[in-house]
Amino acid sequence: MNASTAQAFRDSALRHATRYAPWLDRRPSRDALADATLPEPRCEAWRHTNPNRWYGAERPARRQRLDARGPPNIRVIPFEEADAEDRHRIGQHLNATLDRARYPLANVNDLLLDQGVLIRVPRAAAPAELLLGDLGGGYERALVLVEPGAECVLTERPAAPRQRVVELVVGAGATLRHIRLQPSSDAVEHHLVSAQVGAGATYRVAQHGCGSPLRRCDLHIAASGAGAEIAVRTAYRLGERQHLDTHIAVDHAAPNVVSRQVARGAVGAAARAVFDGRIHIAPKAQGADATLTAKHLLLAPDAAAYAKPELEIYANDVQCAHGATVGDLDANALFYCRSRGMDEAAARQLLVMAFLAEALGDAAPEAAQALLGMQR
Amino acid sequence: MLRIENLHANAGDEPILRGVNLVVRPGEVHALMGPNGSGKSTLANVIAGRPGYDVTAGSVSLDGVDLLALPPEERAQQGVFMAFQYPIEIPGVSNMEFLKAALDSRNAAQGRPELSAVQFLKLARAAAERLGLGPEFGKRGVNEGFSGGEKKRNEILQMLLLEPRLALLDETDSGLDIDSLGTVAAGVNAFAGEDNAIVLVTHYARLLEHIVPDHVHVLVAGRIARSGDKSFALEIEAKGYGWLTAPA
Ligand SMILES: Nc1ncnc2c1ncn2[C@@H]1O[C@H](COP(=O)(O)OP(=O)(O)OP(=O)(O)O)[C@@H](O)[C@H]1O
Ligand SMILES: [Mg+2]
Repeated sequence: MNASTAQAFRDSALRHATRYAPWLDRRPSRDALADATLPEPRCEAWRHTNPNRWYGAERPARRQRLDARGPPNIRVIPFEEADAEDRHRIGQHLNATLDRARYPLANVNDLLLDQGVLIRVPRAAAPAELLLGDLGGGYERALVLVEPGAECVLTERPAAPRQRVVELVVGAGATLRHIRLQPSSDAVEHHLVSAQVGAGATYRVAQHGCGSPLRRCDLHIAASGAGAEIAVRTAYRLGERQHLDTHIAVDHAAPNVVSRQVARGAVGAAARAVFDGRIHIAPKAQGADATLTAKHLLLAPDAAAYAKPELEIYANDVQCAHGATVGDLDANALFYCRSRGMDEAAARQLLVMAFLAEALGDAAPEAAQALLGMQR
Repeated sequence: MLRIENLHANAGDEPILRGVNLVVRPGEVHALMGPNGSGKSTLANVIAGRPGYDVTAGSVSLDGVDLLALPPEERAQQGVFMAFQYPIEIPGVSNMEFLKAALDSRNAAQGRPELSAVQFLKLARAAAERLGLGPEFGKRGVNEGFSGGEKKRNEILQMLLLEPRLALLDETDSGLDIDSLGTVAAGVNAFAGEDNAIVLVTHYARLLEHIVPDHVHVLVAGRIARSGDKSFALEIEAKGYGWLTAPA
């Protein structure tokens, strides 16, 4: 039998591991990848997005750029500049939060890596503001360690990488506000954010923007400490022919965790939005309070949205609510606006803005509004 | 200025309007009465351009402009305003934002300069106050969670700001308490002038004590069955509609 595209890609990744940061111990990833089955077309997790398009897409030329910045007291350390102590730290934490079984594609990241950064955020008087822009364009990696009690605002603006994996360790009592801005691109992209949130810590992630010919975003948030607070917001507006697949999984792995997921997507002509929001509540995660709402608006007859909430509840003291809708712009609201003199385009714009605003929240950065075409 | 001739319109395959004729001149107030389901809202909606109706015959013009050829926004820009019998809620769009967008569209269409934010706020706040809509009103979503009376007052507020040439008020008095009725009527009377005209759809002669009509029409089964002056409204209130049948 001929090897599938997925198998061929895996074999090629195993053969062509990079020499970047050669001291990295790549054996665990190599072993995991050798044992793994990479996603095949129409498998459950990739039902509406064909992974072959990602395997087959060209690897972008490596950009000799590292756009990562922080305040003076925080060092952003490219892996190739890591000293012995940092190497040790990287060795300790890299892949530690990853669920390799659920995200087998992550195994190729450190084999094919062409740029990785380590960021440590210590506890300080004021919240640290970090920016992660372009990390090189190929297989990118960021490892962010938010130490116990520290506060941080991390803004990401990826520049169309082939694959970006961001691992976040949010220490006990720490607060991380994470903003991911995703402009339209022409690239086929895979993103994975894997966050581990400690006791009493807060992790708020907002991922806003547009699509690309194929953009797959996996967000895995494990609330591993009691009393952690998780909030996920995502608003997107897909232009003609764009494809955005967002898979979010929030694991309540400890007691008294509160989690919120809010998604709003406006889908344009021949575009396709896939949204999968999962809430997993482990047997020991009593006192869980979890909600998820996902709403999609189809802006053209050939727009499509596939939204699926998934609940896996194994504890009994749980409050959980979820809802998902897919609909068209409200014809009555549209007529109401037009009867007041707004032309159809202006009326649609106003209604789409109102729809997306629900997922932006009060503290939405202006840059997110700009990406969504929401300047007022 | 408004001229409706032999207007026939269907909702789906169902004929609703079956030959409406009506002429409204500047400065006039017309009351349109008639039993439930006789087509009063349909007439207002067809004039305003609501989707879902097919005009099968006849014409509607405002100041000589064929309204039926225009999309709803251009009718509004020509000066048509309909106060909805059931105003629409738009969560996520604040009332102020909505009013500003409406006013900006009108000004752009009519070649008038755009109002500054300060000018606009002043105007909108004054109008809201006049209609007894509190300070929180501007920030709330359009009609979101409004009481029936608040929704109707909001329609009149929009009318006052947009200064239409023709105001079609579809049961703006329904569901109003006595005081609100007075407030709304005062707003309408302040608006009424020699340069505009008003068509009031109502079931109650009481409104017509506040806003005195020049003509009263009764619509029955999609046609104007009879017209008269303001005393006709009292006659209807006393006798009901049973004695009026649609003309052949
Ligand atoms: N969009 C529509 N689709 C189907 N039927 C409609 C539509 N609009 C109106 N109708 C029907 O047309 C008839 C007239 O309705 P219309 O709302 O114009 O009556 P009305 O005179 O305003 O009544 P009311 O006094 O109850 O407000 C009714 O039978 C109604 O069900
Ligand atoms: Mg009606």
